[in-house]
Amino acid sequence: MVCRGPRHAVAQDWVEPVTDPSTPVLPTTVTDFTGESVTVTDAERILALDTYGTLATTVYALGLGDRLVGRDISTGVPTLQDLPVVTHNGHELNAEAILELDPSVILTDYSIGPLEVQLQLKEAGIPVVIMDDQRNRAVIGDQIRAVAEVLGVPTAGETLAASVAEDISRAESEVTAMAEAAADPRMVFLYLRGNAGVYHWFGKGSGADDLIAALGGVDVAGESGLEGSRPLNAEGLVRSEPDLYLMMSDGLGSVGGADGLLEIPGVADTAAGVDGCVVDMDDAQILSFGPQFPVTLRALGDAVYGPDGVLGAGSESDGTEPS
Amino acid sequence: MALLVALGVALVAAAIVAAAVGQLPIAPSEVLGSVLHRVGGWVGLDIGSVPSHPRGEAALWNVRSPRVLLAALVGAALGGAGAVLQAVFGNPLAEPSVIGVSGGAAVGACSVIVFGWSFLGSYTVPAIAFATALGTTLVIYAMARHGGRTEVVTLVLMGIAVNAVTAAVIAYLVFLGDSQAREQIVFWQLGSFNGSRWEAVRVVAPVVAVGLAGVMAITRQLDLLALGERSARHLGVNVERLRLTSIVIVSLLVASGVAFVGIIAFIGLIVPHLVRMVVGPSHRTLVPASVLGGALLVVIADVVARTAVDYADLPIGMLTALVGGPFFFWMLHRTRTAAGGWG
Amino acid sequence: MSVATTLRGLRRDVRRPDRSATPGPAIRARGIGVVLDGASVLYDVDVDVDTGHLLALVGPNGAGKSTLLSVLAGDRQPERGAVELDGLPVGSWSAVEMAMRRAVLLQQVTMSFPFTVRQMVEMGRAPWAGQPEEADDERRVVESMAATDVSHLAERTVPSLSGGERARAALARVLAQDTGILLLDEPTAALDVRHQEQVLALAADAAAAGRAVVVVMHDLGLAAAHADRVVVLAGGSVAADGAPADVLTAPLLSEVYEHPIDVLRHPQDGRLLIVPGHDRPSATIRHT
Repeated sequence: MVCRGPRHAVAQDWVEPVTDPSTPVLPTTVTDFTGESVTVTDAERILALDTYGTLATTVYALGLGDRLVGRDISTGVPTLQDLPVVTHNGHELNAEAILELDPSVILTDYSIGPLEVQLQLKEAGIPVVIMDDQRNRAVIGDQIRAVAEVLGVPTAGETLAASVAEDISRAESEVTAMAEAAADPRMVFLYLRGNAGVYHWFGKGSGADDLIAALGGVDVAGESGLEGSRPLNAEGLVRSEPDLYLMMSDGLGSVGGADGLLEIPGVADTAAGVDGCVVDMDDAQILSFGPQFPVTLRALGDAVYGPDGVLGAGSESDGTEPS
Repeated sequence: MALLVALGVALVAAAIVAAAVGQLPIAPSEVLGSVLHRVGGWVGLDIGSVPSHPRGEAALWNVRSPRVLLAALVGAALGGAGAVLQAVFGNPLAEPSVIGVSGGAAVGACSVIVFGWSFLGSYTVPAIAFATALGTTLVIYAMARHGGRTEVVTLVLMGIAVNAVTAAVIAYLVFLGDSQAREQIVFWQLGSFNGSRWEAVRVVAPVVAVGLAGVMAITRQLDLLALGERSARHLGVNVERLRLTSIVIVSLLVASGVAFVGIIAFIGLIVPHLVRMVVGPSHRTLVPASVLGGALLVVIADVVARTAVDYADLPIGMLTALVGGPFFFWMLHRTRTAAGGWG
Repeated sequence: MSVATTLRGLRRDVRRPDRSATPGPAIRARGIGVVLDGASVLYDVDVDVDTGHLLALVGPNGAGKSTLLSVLAGDRQPERGAVELDGLPVGSWSAVEMAMRRAVLLQQVTMSFPFTVRQMVEMGRAPWAGQPEEADDERRVVESMAATDVSHLAERTVPSLSGGERARAALARVLAQDTGILLLDEPTAALDVRHQEQVLALAADAAAAGRAVVVVMHDLGLAAAHADRVVVLAGGSVAADGAPADVLTAPLLSEVYEHPIDVLRHPQDGRLLIVPGHDRPSATIRHT
């Protein structure tokens, strides 16, 4: 398999909010992910907080973006960038920063913490709804509907879930068509934070496995029996024979780009490493799934198989490396 | 006595200031008003007022009050534990985090997080942390002492060895854990009061109270230990029992703190040392003054931790180590100079 | 019930020493044998420590004097033999009951923290906490410090004292304990001549006042001058036991110390003068 060097995948556009946003019908009472019953009486001031930025994107896509009063560090929607950030030290929630915004409902999940802060907020009398923190294609529709139910806009939820599902299958077919030429490339998702000494690879159940499947690749970490997120093992990496690395942009930057990546034990001894076969994408987007997923998938499909992709057709005759 | 009163007043003042500062603005007068309002509410009086910010009352009572109280409790526990540990080792450099008691407690707490144990409810983490802290302390004690005293070199080397082992065990636990457990461990290894809840206060308060009451009952005997174990025994001290009691108490105090807020280093070193410089080594004043001083120092340190950098909560363990490390170094240097070597 | 009351309640069950006890052996040790690291350091030692007497324990280095003292103090359980204190085996007394009966001055005076001299002397009163004797605390402390000439050092910290000052302060602590038995391990080692005499006179006075006093010492002249009885230990067993004039003889001492020693009488008052010989003793020193 010939590779044309590192590519940066960029989402061309953002998910469109539903065209006919409905006004929340409240109160709603839902049973959250922890089995607890939560009643929401007011959805004027919403906070949606998780490590992936998925929840805030979902609220935005449901047409309630103007009700968000703050955001987590991962929320990527351009029109939400000016909202105050309530996380610090990466993905740590700050109770005071959250209370200062006087939210009337908080949607969050266990991908972000500490748990104690979420409990504090609950004790402060704010309805805190804990959502499912799984991220893969199969749960996108349910998660959209769940968020819509909490916020009293079930119809918008159905509409959005349906349109997203449709768009996902379109994007899948496009990617499958593009991937035909490539013979099931072997891929692995690397989660690196060079400055913190964190070198992990993602396996089954991490979301990365499903992303790779959507891209028509073989998840070599999952193939090796790896579950969740595990510290990188040089020999294991070499043995798994990856052709392509998927990474978060900041993760790639933290090790010094594609060249710095070669310094990590094992990487230089893989085909993907030798060829510089790396596709990176914005940290907040690459694993966030949610309503933004079709866009994400197209961008990644393009970066991998597109005319200018790492494994793109005509790469043999081309020889030049556009940046 | 004057010192105790001064420390007590300073602690109350620091607690009020700590309750007033934070990201969500509440004026000290509003804090006072809200406290009056609460207290008045209990006795049926409508006095005081709630803060003007719509979530001010919640921030004050659900976020900040438990945080300030927990900081005071943990500081008190660490100050007291340091003073007792130094008496038992006959060495002013003994400190829970230096010799590895904190690390031992951390191993227990991490195990609970990684293996998801919950058989004792909210007491699970402190109980297991206590068990491993106790085990660690007993090992250190059995190995570091010679003739009733512990030499500085032995103590420091012992601390290096124990901390290396506990760090290795924690690293292994981190490896075993899923990413959520991992983040919880990292968060908590640095030591932080972010996320302090009333539940933690309810668990820690009685444990610390029992521990400190126990310490106060043995202060006179702790004085006698300064004469060495044989002389203490000659004066009627049941040294074995005193040792065991002290170690159980120290483990209890350290574990209750470590379980909820992680490792906060050097409090047990700095505070008793400063107190000794002011009022001398008698444990009848040293222990209560170290308890109050520890509470005061940690409350202040936590205020600094959450206000030094805008919108960020600095890990308080990092902060105290930053100050305590050089202090420890200075004490080590002084001890060495005074003893003319590493005695 | 508070912890303090509980402790006080327990204290009430303490068997207090009977101060009006008839004279007799306060400590009786029989057939004492101690093995340290596989080597016998004491064998078959019999010693009676009588009230009203100052017993000097002498002998060359390594004779087992300090070991014997620790056995008498109840610190060390001998491998063989038995020690009775106040008529009962030492093991049957609690730590506090022992502390009400015997005080011990160790060779090494340690102090881990900068306690003042007064605070250290006050520590001697610890066994009497919760007892009627507690009322005497202040008086005993002041008297003990005066007797050992450390009153002027009361507010100094112990670690800042010279060796001699420290030894006297420690002795004050032992005296403040106010026990019927005093066990002193080389109390004069660090002292100048005046204080040596003063300390041994104190010990002799204590004996005269009805206490049982054991002093381990190296200065045979001081032993001769102040002791009522001398036990000479050599190689772990008793070489002689009796009145100073009977025990401290030139042949016995020369043999025990493996060095020629002369015993003379002072020309004026007839005191025993014990003088080492000055011919080079190389033939008789064994280098071990």
